[in-house]
Amino acid sequence: MTTAGYARYSRFIIRRERVVGLIWLLAMPLAAFGLASLYPGLLPTPESLLSMASTMNTPAMVAMMGPVYGLDSLTPAIAMSQECLIWFAIASILMNIFFVNRHTRVDEELGRHEMFAALPVGRLAGGASVIVDALVMDVVITILTALLLIALDVGGTTAAGAFAYASSIGAQGFLFAAVTLLTAQLFSTAHGSMGAAFAFMGISYIMRASGDVSGGALSLISPMGLGLKVQAFYANAFWPIAALIAEAVAVAALALVVNARRDVGSGVFPARKGRDSASRFLQSPLGLAWRLSRGTFIAWAVAFLTLGAMYGAVLGELDSFVEGNDVIRRMLEGQLGAKSLVDAYIPLLGCVMALIASIPVVNTVNRLRAEERRGRLEQVYARAASRRAMFAGFAAIAAAEAVVFTFLSAFGLYVSASGTGLVSLGAIMGASFAYVPAILTLAAVAAMLVGIAPRLTALTWALFGYSFIMMYFGRLFDMPTVLPRLSPFSAVPQLPVEAFRAVPIAVMCGLSALMCGVGLAGYRERDTRY
Amino acid sequence: MSANEVIRIEGLVKRFGRISALNGIDLSVKAGEVRAFLGPNGAGKSTTIRCLLGILRATSGSVRLFGQDAWTDAVELHKRLAYVPGDVNLWDNLTGGEVIDLFLSLRGTKPDRAARQKYLDLFELDPSKKCRTYSKGNRQKVALVAAFASDAELFVLDEPTSGLDPLLEKVFQDCVGVIKARGRTVLLSSHIMSEAEKLADSVSIIKDGRIVMEGVMRDIAARGASLEELFLSEYKGRVS
Repeated sequence: MTTAGYARYSRFIIRRERVVGLIWLLAMPLAAFGLASLYPGLLPTPESLLSMASTMNTPAMVAMMGPVYGLDSLTPAIAMSQECLIWFAIASILMNIFFVNRHTRVDEELGRHEMFAALPVGRLAGGASVIVDALVMDVVITILTALLLIALDVGGTTAAGAFAYASSIGAQGFLFAAVTLLTAQLFSTAHGSMGAAFAFMGISYIMRASGDVSGGALSLISPMGLGLKVQAFYANAFWPIAALIAEAVAVAALALVVNARRDVGSGVFPARKGRDSASRFLQSPLGLAWRLSRGTFIAWAVAFLTLGAMYGAVLGELDSFVEGNDVIRRMLEGQLGAKSLVDAYIPLLGCVMALIASIPVVNTVNRLRAEERRGRLEQVYARAASRRAMFAGFAAIAAAEAVVFTFLSAFGLYVSASGTGLVSLGAIMGASFAYVPAILTLAAVAAMLVGIAPRLTALTWALFGYSFIMMYFGRLFDMPTVLPRLSPFSAVPQLPVEAFRAVPIAVMCGLSALMCGVGLAGYRERDTRY
Repeated sequence: MSANEVIRIEGLVKRFGRISALNGIDLSVKAGEVRAFLGPNGAGKSTTIRCLLGILRATSGSVRLFGQDAWTDAVELHKRLAYVPGDVNLWDNLTGGEVIDLFLSLRGTKPDRAARQKYLDLFELDPSKKCRTYSKGNRQKVALVAAFASDAELFVLDEPTSGLDPLLEKVFQDCVGVIKARGRTVLLSSHIMSEAEKLADSVSIIKDGRIVMEGVMRDIAARGASLEELFLSEYKGRVS
């Protein structure tokens, strides 16, 4: 019996998940509830709803969050779904990827799975338990979210709409649970398995973005595009949910077939062997920092080139989009005077890409702390390597990443938009590189925390989140001007619309150097500890 | 500090917040000596060693190696010592060979390829495998090869053989014999009494963050006591 011991194993997983799983189960519906509750206050009038929809109905926004719908009968519920569904879908997908990987490849890699394999447990018990438990979690999140939204009852809420919205979140997550179960069979390491699942998510997002902008079938092939087709609180279509679940069942079945046939510990793609000795460059602290960052560096470099190209492709269609939309046309023109629409978009894109670029940059700085926590750096410091060299190594790579990722996204943007003849390389590079000091400021905050307050490194992400919200909502809603000013990304001159201002750039550079220095000084003085 | 003293710890106190891990350690090891450093889990062995390596900063007291301060002169000192931890954590996506080379070259001298190969063969380690695929014992071997293939003057070994099978345990003992014959100094923290008895010239026993007993192995043997008896008696609070 290949699933013998299934029930016991399934309960064992739930027991292991009783903290982390419970947090997800509660946090997702509560966050959905909390965000939705803001909408009546943010968009109180039909005019504000329409103006918001106009802003949303522009290529960059459609690429980011999906197509606009329901313009003939706008409600706060529709606006909420429009702007929030994609982010909750992403959170749900991440939850499912982490969950499945944790209980498949990670266990196997750490040798924990072996203990079960030695017990009278069927070969499929593990895989089947994991996928069924993932489904249970997704269903619970769906029901809780829907019920909370119905209880909240913002304008335009219907029971069907609430369930369409919530089940899209759950169904997208479940499909990725199945995908991760498959990648866990294909790759022989937890790292490889999770990387493949993330890559699939990235591809789905990009396919959806380009499909949504160009109106092609790519949106239907991408699970994330499919998930948005429910048009919650308007069309309330449930066929995309059915399609997603059917796909998930098929993928999960395939994964279980592979699971039953392979050896424990192996994958369809075997682990590659690496070099048997270190290259010359690795043999230094900077070399080690680079070697540890290399894989993610390459992956992000490709992602930024693609992202830039994607936005560039959208830029060419900007005029045709605005053509049929008098409101936004007037809005942008009034704001910009004689400048073109494309010029107005470039600094916004620069800001979005800079914010995204700060994720890997901050991660690189924080890696210094992550390595320390895993007890690896003490082996380095037990040798003739100074803390300063290691700290400087990670800081240098983070700074280089900020420059390279900015260049690649701007370059991708230019190349794919150059056919339109609307943009110059200089303007795009100028607008994008103006944001590099802001990225460096965020990275320097991270470096300072690693040096003097290693337990508080999460604060960097709080500042990141704040900057993101200010970029996002600060442009959509009228905010008191002091709030956005606290984000480094809001201090950047909006080239080429505004004139270049050297002061904020110089201040951010100086501040970055200062915080980095404080971090280094603290780092040299403190204990190296887990 | 006399000229041939390699390790000199005086009154070492280390506190973590309100918890006191070391309460005044005194330890002196001469050049060419193999010192066994014994004590149960949690007695402070690894904390002492981490202070010795300048990874933890002493709350008070002095820790000196080769006459230099273990914290301020850490980088210089580490060119002259090799360290093997008891629980080896490695980077998943590097191979064992890469890690060994990294560790050897970070000592500031040119890695000795012949020595590296010799110890890879002795410990039967495949250097081209990714660290994430290594077992506990194999991860331990990576650290041992990196240490023995270096031309260090002081070897700090913190339960170095955990996870090794008896055959490799024997290989390890032979390796220590070789470095001992070359006049190197060894601080060996261990739970394996027979290992310590076989290799050490002298022994220090730590209890609750203090050294409670020190002795020369010859004298202990002359009294007809085994190291294990001595250790157990120290911890049970009665002398056999």
